[in-house]
Parts: sequence; C-alpha cells; structure tokens
Amino acid sequence: MEFGIRNGKVMVIMVTRINIGPVHPSTHGVLRLVADIEGDTVENVEAHIGMLHRGVEKLVETRKYLQSHPYMEKLDYVSPLAYDETYVSAVEAALGVDVKERAQYVRVIELELQRVASHLLFLGTMCNDIGQMFTMFMWTFEDRDMVLRLLEQATGERMFYVNMRLGGVNLDLPKDFEENCIAFINREEKRIREYEHYLESNPVFMERMKGVGILNRDDAVELGVTGPVLRASGVQYDVRKNNPYYVYDRLNFEMQTEHKGDNFARYKVRMLEIKESLRLIKNALRMIPEGDAIGMPVKLILPAAKNREVMVRREVPRGELMMYMIADPQSPYRLSIRSPNFVNLSALEYVARGCKTADLFAILGSLDMVMGCVDK
Amino acid sequence: MTSSYNIIGLWQAWLNSGNLLLSAIAVLIYAIGVMIVIAIFSYMFGWAERKIIAKIQHRHGPTYVGKYGILQNLADLIKLLSKENIVPSNANLRLMQLSVIFILSASTFLVLILPFAHSLQVANFGTGLLIVFVFISFMPLAVFVGGVSSGNKFGHISAQRSVLMLLSYELPMVLVVAAAAMLSGSFNIQQVVLTQASRGYFALLMPIGFVIFFIAMLAEFERPPFDIREADSELISGWLTDFSSPYYALVLFIDYTRMFLGSLLVAIIFLGGWSGPVLPGPVWLIFKATLVALFTIIIRATTVRMRIDRMLRLGWMWLLPLSLINLILTYIIFVA
Repeated sequence: MEFGIRNGKVMVIMVTRINIGPVHPSTHGVLRLVADIEGDTVENVEAHIGMLHRGVEKLVETRKYLQSHPYMEKLDYVSPLAYDETYVSAVEAALGVDVKERAQYVRVIELELQRVASHLLFLGTMCNDIGQMFTMFMWTFEDRDMVLRLLEQATGERMFYVNMRLGGVNLDLPKDFEENCIAFINREEKRIREYEHYLESNPVFMERMKGVGILNRDDAVELGVTGPVLRASGVQYDVRKNNPYYVYDRLNFEMQTEHKGDNFARYKVRMLEIKESLRLIKNALRMIPEGDAIGMPVKLILPAAKNREVMVRREVPRGELMMYMIADPQSPYRLSIRSPNFVNLSALEYVARGCKTADLFAILGSLDMVMGCVDK
Repeated sequence: MTSSYNIIGLWQAWLNSGNLLLSAIAVLIYAIGVMIVIAIFSYMFGWAERKIIAKIQHRHGPTYVGKYGILQNLADLIKLLSKENIVPSNANLRLMQLSVIFILSASTFLVLILPFAHSLQVANFGTGLLIVFVFISFMPLAVFVGGVSSGNKFGHISAQRSVLMLLSYELPMVLVVAAAAMLSGSFNIQQVVLTQASRGYFALLMPIGFVIFFIAMLAEFERPPFDIREADSELISGWLTDFSSPYYALVLFIDYTRMFLGSLLVAIIFLGGWSGPVLPGPVWLIFKATLVALFTIIIRATTVRMRIDRMLRLGWMWLLPLSLINLILTYIIFVA
C-alpha cells in the first residue's frame, strides 16, 4: 500500500506486484513479466528474459562455417528458414560466393512461404491471447500445416529445414511444386479473406484491438522496433524494399504499412503481408528460370574467407535481422546477431504502461515474440 | 403414461399431506431426482461442449474412452479425484471450500425450486422469481470470497473483477425480470409460465428483454465472451487458479450446474417453460434448456473475451437504458 496523488487528492493506491510467467498460458514460451497492477491497470511492466539462453553466438565461434546452420534455425523456431538463410548469406558474403540465379528464386519462394507460415501462427496466438480460446488457433494451424507440407516437399524436412548451401540450396524445387503451391495460394487467399471478414465484423474483437497499445511513429523509431511493428506505426521501412537482396527488386510487391500503431494496425499489417507474400510467391513462380540451383557441396573445409568483416540484413517475418560477422578463414571469429524479437520486446514496457491487465496480453501477442530468438 | 402420472399424484399427495415426515420424504425424493437430472445434464453438456468445439475447430475431440469419447469426462473426473489436494500456504482453505460449496448449493437449490411441470414443483413460492434472483446475486460475492481467500494474486484481480461485473449486469437483469413479472402480473414462476401459454412466449413479446437477459445470463455464469473472472489467457484461471484436484472437479461440476440453471431460467421466463404439444412438460423444458445451452457453446467457440471496463460500459450505456426502455414499452403495450 502506498500513498499517491490522483486528480488532486491524496489517496491510498493499492499496487499489486504480480509475477506473470514463465509458466503462463500467454507468455509465448519462457518470458517472465513482473507487472505492477493497480486495480486492473498496469502501472509498470518489466520483462525478465534469459531463460532460454543457449549462447548461440559463442557456440558458432567454436565450429566450422557449415556446422552452425542448425543452431541458427533453433533461434526462431517459428521461421527457421529465414534465420538459416541469413546466416548462410553472411558466410557467402565472407567467402565471396555468388548465389545462382535459380537458387535466388528458390530462396525467395521458400522465405516467403516461411513468412506466411509465421504470420499465420501469429494470427492464431493473437486470438488466443485476447480470449478466443483455440478456434482461430486451430484454423490457422491447419493452414500453416499446409505451408509446412509444401516446404517439406521442397526441402525434405518439416520444421528445421537446413536447406541452404553456399551459393544455392540443398534441394531444388520438386517437379509438381508449382502446381501444389498455386493450389495452396488460391485456397489460402480465400481463407485469409474469410478470417478477415470473420474477425473484423466482430465488434468485441475490434474493441479489443482498436486503439489499444498505441505506439506512435516517433516512439517506434526511437525504440528501434522493426518489421511489422514498425510498419504498423507508419514508418516506410522494409529491408526487402529499402535494401533489396536476391530478386526482390525484380518482383512486383508492395510494402504494407498502417499508420495508427495500435494492436489492430499490427494485426492488419501482418494480414496484408500474408496476402502480399502469396502474390509474391505466385509472381516468383512465374518468373523462375530453368537451370541449376544446387549449391556447393557441403564440406567442413571451405575456400578461405576473403572478407574479414561482413554484415547482412534480412527482412525475416518478425522484422529486420542483422548478422555481423568477423570472419576467420574457416570459422567465424565473432558472430553478433541483432534479433528483431529482442528490440520488439523492449517496446512492451513502453507500450503496455497504463493499459488494462487484459490488454497487456493482447499487446504482448501483437508484438509476436519468439523467446528462442530473444534469449539467443 | 397414466402410471407415471399416478406416481406424481402420489408424490404430490405426500408433499401436501401436512405430515412433516411424509413431506420431507417427498422433498428428499424430488431433490435426489433433481440431482440426478443435474448430474446427467452436466455430464452430457461437458461432453457436448468438448465435441462441438472440437468440430468447430476442425479437431476430433475425445474419441478413445467409450463410444465417441463419451466416457472421457468420467475418466477426467476419476483422475482429478485421485490426485492430491494442494493448498497454498497463504490460502484460507475453509473460505475457499465454503465459496465453492455455497455456489453449488445455491444453484442446486434454485434448480430445485424451479417448476419442471405444472404439478412438478417442490414449493410454489408467491415470490419465486425474487428468491431466484436474490440467490443469483449472491454468487459473485462467493466468487469474491473464493478469489481473495485463495491467496493468489490472480485470484485477487479476479475477485475485484467479479464485483465490478456484478455492478454491470445485475441491475439490467433484475429490470428485465421486473418486466416479465409485470407481464404475468405475479412473481410466481408457475404464473409466468402459464401466462406465456396463454399470451405467447415472452421472448416474442419483449425481444429486447430476452436479449438483455441472455447476455446477463452469460455474464452471470462466466460463459464467454464474459468469462472475465476466470480469463484463461490472462489470469490463468482467475479465482480458480489455486483450486486443485478434487475442488477443481467440483468447480467444473458447478460450472455446468450453473449453466443448467441459466438455461432453465431462460427457458422458463422467456421460452414458455414446460408448455409444448404432445410431449410431457419436463421433456419440453429440458429440450428448450438444452437448445439454449448449445447456443452458448457456439458463442464460446467463436467470440473473443470482453475487457472488464468495456463490460461496465456495455452494462451501463446499453443494457441498463435498454432494459428501462423494455420495461416502459412492456407497460405501455401490454399492461396499460
């Protein structure tokens, strides 16, 4: 119990310090929040992280270049392929290897499929967090499973693909991939429209999402948030557009932004991105050239690294992932990972201050965290 | 058919015999019968809820235990009863137990005094409706006691919300009941049903009141989208967080019992109670109650949870004015 001034009067304020997680239905893994709650209002919230720390950056240093893919994939277990790809491009940049033309298309297609899968998972968990227990979750998991099946066809694995090789990919797209993929896209576009209609015509859903957890443009830039969270605040920044890699500059797609910066904007940006990614995949499938996409053989001893210092940046589903590497000839001397999840999580404290207890979890859900990547 | 009516006649003769012992035996027999009905309804409702939600979510639901998984809830019950009851060190076990037992006994008592048919009611109070809603209004307070005494901070928040919710829907609900009483000219529940048999279902006569009452019922019995007290994704289980095994089983049973009570009330006050052609009264009543209950399952599977402050706003900005309008319209159209 403490005293404070409210509306010009000295009052007794009851502040409960409450420990949420790491075992809690909506903390998305092992996040622990310590929240000060007055009545039903969150006065302050602090995120305690590190429960999933494995020391990936250090592990990488003790291994040869191509022994580290699986570690990278386990950073973000919701979009493993994107992390694998970023790491391999860092190694490619260090070794000075060019990626084959067809392989670039294959990578783009797989990355975008991964983005769709990741955003679908976001939609499901978001609805869980605002209390629609598991209906949307099961529906989007069904869809996500179809993406995973496509990726399984393409890479031979369901969850952790390890499909990237230097200069190309491990397995080229199978023959019937295009047909299956188009069938999936046509089905999924319809489903996404259905979800949107179903959610946005629900007044309770709109009430829980609109105007909640507002992160305005300047604060978003100041806090350094990335990805859909940043674009939801109206900042035109997408690495695929601003700093194009592979064939993204040749493919026709729009950057999706909203300007309100609330939960609804963050949800909407992701929904739009799913649609845009599906269009992008269709586009890439049409333009993909014939030829060879298989990369260099997997060997422990590679040609020695040419560049000492490299940095790659990629738009992974949760934002801008940067990998900064100082390269020794056969293994990284130091690898530093700038995780988008970590910076997005750091915005929670700011956004959630003064909201209702129920909205704390809605905001947490809308930031779409994966703790594996936050804790590294 | 005739023999069953004879049994009811005998039972009524015992009940109204004036002999205390015979009346007590009659009440006891009736109470046991009602408990059996509640148990069967709770069990089947629990199973149906799991199955229907599973179908909506493209899952199968329980399949292994018994045909169509019908024995799954029994297996769960046995599991819960055989586990250790863990009491947190700063909980007040007596109060926790008391709160659960109060809610259970109150809801069972209310089911007991509701009429299942014209001749099938244990006590025909002149103020039956008032008694029902007095008891119902006490339930959130029992939730408050349970939440606070569990010594859990989530329980505390849940307890606060419970009182806030009481403020938001209680008044509109009572106003709607007042309109129903005005229509039938009595607080007697039998009279309410008989009036509907002659004038038409109250759900048709005052549709606004019906909707308000249904919403208030959902809120009262912690059904989504108003499961704000035990919000699973926010407060873990709210006031139930620290209730372990046997008490948790009891709480689940209470949930379904209250659901039964709520559906019965909707069926009696708005859907004509036991009145209906061909089939006997109790069958009609339970059929209507089941329809209402199934409808709440669909609501549960498809809508997101409301926030407590929005709930208050809904209560005071919409439900209260609308229930007043309902009261006035009912008076103007049907009474004056």
